Amino acid sequence: MTTQYPRGTGFKCDFVDQTPMPADVPHVDELGVTSAPLKSAAFFLGSFCKDYNEDFMLCKSESRDPAHCLKEGRKVTRCAIDLINKMRENCGSEWDAHWECLDKRNQELYHCRQPERKLNECMFDKLGIKKVIPGTPEGRTPIHEKQSPIYKSIQK
Amino acid sequence: MPVPWEALIPFGLLTAMFGAAGTLMNVSQRAQNDGKAPRYKLDSWEESMMERDRRLTGSKRGQSTNPLAPKEFSLNSVWQTENL
Repeated sequence: MTTQYPRGTGFKCDFVDQTPMPADVPHVDELGVTSAPLKSAAFFLGSFCKDYNEDFMLCKSESRDPAHCLKEGRKVTRCAIDLINKMRENCGSEWDAHWECLDKRNQELYHCRQPERKLNECMFDKLGIKKVIPGTPEGRTPIHEKQSPIYKSIQK
Repeated sequence: MPVPWEALIPFGLLTAMFGAAGTLMNVSQRAQNDGKAPRYKLDSWEESMMERDRRLTGSKRGQSTNPLAPKEFSLNSVWQTENL
């Protein structure tokens, strides 16, 4: 994460580090999905890759050294790539509709509930993954299933 | 009976001026954002994600659903540094 530098503290230059990864680290291709499709797939990634994600987070809580959690990180990446491939071949058009809607609307989820509903149905039918918001209080409908929400798009 | 159409000229001018300024603003903002409306209320997380999008696609508003990142992605991360 980049930080905000206070002004007048020296000449800033952008440094691009060209050293490749060391050869003893197994190579895993990074996830190439950008922010809007990733946000759209976020809850499905959370439930499909739950075990690997939790392993990674627990590992990170032990030490923030990047070298400490490389193995768990590779597992997370592989699981995410697996789910993205499955989403592309099974629910490709619904996913595209949802993330394109998000991209037009500042990537805020409450603007795009109709495409989201279709995507959730497709994901549940084809892949058996349901969108669940963890921490929803008992007895309250989750916001993505509420039929007439108060906070919604004003226009369009 | 003559209609005082000259009295409506200021309203026409206001509409035209506001319309022209607004349209120019909209067109200029969309041109800077790959034809999309500009993003607002961006926090550090969103800025970091947009920087990642720039590294993946070449533009801060570019999107893609490729499961695998291009080869350049592993070597093009930018560190903000200072000369001491």
